[in-house]
Amino acid sequence: MEPEFRAEVEALSQALDQLDYFGVLKLPQSAGMADVRAAYHRESRAYHPDRFAALPDEAVREQIGRIYRRINEAYTVLRDDAKRKKYLADISGPDRERKLRFTEVEEAEVKDAQKKKVEEQLGLTPNGRKFYAAALADIQAGRWEAAERNLKSALMYEPQNPKFKEQMALVEKNRPKVDFKIR
Amino acid sequence: MNDDLAVGIDLGTSYSAVACMQDGQPQVLPNEWGERTHASVVSFLEDATVLVGNNAKKNIITNAENTVYSAKRLIGRFYFSDEVKKAQAVMPYKIVEGPNNSVRLQVGQKIFAVPEISALVLKEMKAIAETALGREVKKAVVTCPAYFNDNQRQATKDAGRIAGLDVLRIINEPTAAALAYGFGKDIKQKICVYDLGGGTFDVSILEIGTDVFEVISTAGDTYLGGDDFDDRIMTWLADDFLHKHGLDLRQNKFCLQMLKEAGEKAKIDVGQFGAAAISVPGVCQSPEGEVLNLEMKLSADHFNKMVMDLVQRTFKVCDEALQSARLTAGDIDAVILVGGPTRLPIIRQSVKHYFQKDPMVGIDPDEVVALGASIQASALLNRDAAARGQASYLLDVTPLTLRVGTVGGYAEPIIDKNTPIPIEKSKTFTTSRDGQDRVLIRVYQGESKRAEECELLGEFEFTGFRIAYRGEVQIQVTFEIDSNGIVNVSAMDLETRQKASTTINLSSGLSEADILQAIDKNAEMELAGRAA
Repeated sequence: MEPEFRAEVEALSQALDQLDYFGVLKLPQSAGMADVRAAYHRESRAYHPDRFAALPDEAVREQIGRIYRRINEAYTVLRDDAKRKKYLADISGPDRERKLRFTEVEEAEVKDAQKKKVEEQLGLTPNGRKFYAAALADIQAGRWEAAERNLKSALMYEPQNPKFKEQMALVEKNRPKVDFKIR
Repeated sequence: MNDDLAVGIDLGTSYSAVACMQDGQPQVLPNEWGERTHASVVSFLEDATVLVGNNAKKNIITNAENTVYSAKRLIGRFYFSDEVKKAQAVMPYKIVEGPNNSVRLQVGQKIFAVPEISALVLKEMKAIAETALGREVKKAVVTCPAYFNDNQRQATKDAGRIAGLDVLRIINEPTAAALAYGFGKDIKQKICVYDLGGGTFDVSILEIGTDVFEVISTAGDTYLGGDDFDDRIMTWLADDFLHKHGLDLRQNKFCLQMLKEAGEKAKIDVGQFGAAAISVPGVCQSPEGEVLNLEMKLSADHFNKMVMDLVQRTFKVCDEALQSARLTAGDIDAVILVGGPTRLPIIRQSVKHYFQKDPMVGIDPDEVVALGASIQASALLNRDAAARGQASYLLDVTPLTLRVGTVGGYAEPIIDKNTPIPIEKSKTFTTSRDGQDRVLIRVYQGESKRAEECELLGEFEFTGFRIAYRGEVQIQVTFEIDSNGIVNVSAMDLETRQKASTTINLSSGLSEADILQAIDKNAEMELAGRAA
């Protein structure tokens, strides 16, 4: 191993805990998905433990192992849109020092946010979701009156749900205007 | 000079192979009779020697109780697992319970752990390589199915040690196949490896560049393989026989083995010739003493109907792998078939239909894994390949989510599946009682939130941290998955930075003392037909 590379490993392993994931992968924060992957491949070529498997010095192997594990960790977060967004917000905030590594707490927050988003899309209560789903099917089939009935029921369970209100407005616009029916 | 030699070994459920890099090209090493793949069958002979390979396979019927096959189905499993129960019903050899819910095999008066049996297969591979190369072989890369969990990987590694090999790395079979496919080619492709072996099924999606082999996702089923295709034919034969003669062939383990052999042969014939004539003269005797023969004809259509659901199950796994990779079947540039059963026309046609392209030809499905392993073996030994720009890097992933047990029987995820390895992740635990001096955690692998539906890897006990009021001591537990896919757990007192000592209470694996004992036992056993 060349002395320059040895010095690089030493410096990187000292600085590792002060670097954010962009720093680990030597990327700007604006990097796109293809850049992230390219950087990961580039860093893998440099620090992949297989390259150093035959190295007799165990301490250096352990240093390189630690660096490479961090490279993998960085890639895992930066390749995932939701995780990356959350991470970027974390390291741009006042708590940057504590947030350099993406821990289980952040992981849980991302999952909660995703779950909430899904719930907002589909309704927060079981009955609200049920009527909303039925209403969407009715709209698809052009059964406007049935859709209106189902949306009214859904709104009874979740009067504030913006999605429900939005669909209701759509139904009211499209529903054929009939004042009375002739039997 | 001896030092820089390492072989690649494909340790399969039904067949194994060994390969080595020679003059820059990976080559399969044949045995003295020119055989390139060897049955993973171990037969204990009366003269206390051990016969391994294709000749041992003949003993499954004649020396059934002393012949062990398909040991890979049992490796790294707990005694209470379903796979073990299933094996007990059909295997002619005795499967008994060992310490800590482990599995042991009884042959005559001797008791063997499963890795000890695999070690005998590895010992034979080592001997084949040594004869072919004319020098001692001490180092090897051994392959295992991508979907193997930590217990199974650890047991595979133990088997290598017992056989007297320095196991440089455990690599995944599909990854090895991809390496053999991409080796020396300057291509940039997304490929899918469809690996249907004797006992396991794996799918890996990889992106390969010039020198980087990145596994994007992997999925599998460790309960699905070519054996299940044989089983279908066996069941059909046995049901028909029961209907005709009122005798159930499955009741007798001797008849069952003949049936199994007939089933396997019929499968191969159907694949090769489009139909099979099954004939087992004297398969059993009626209570009246009449010798009965088994004569049947199996057409390709009938066979395809019998196994259709198994074939469809493989594509469910493909769906899963593609979904994890966020790709569709159309994004795949090349499909590589691995494993003997992929020779079946029904598999080739279904794969073609699913991916809308012909699978790659010119790749031997029985040899490609061993070839890939040998490439990796030589790369791990070579110190200047990287400097010369000749190295290739495997970027593999963990196939299963790593979890810790929490209250109420749940298992909380720590490291998600398809995360690149090696990787580490820490979690902080705190004491829940005043004066607590030990923390106990259970580690699982699996995709269910419920602990009981996941595979238990072990129970770890941490001691040696400060004794204080509850909640005052914070213990940081670090979970690491290494390049072999093997999990290591360590703990540290966060305040004092003192490492806590770890004991493993529950594990399917062998203790260090067991392994040392097994190494001696293995060294004493002589392989039949080979001068020690």
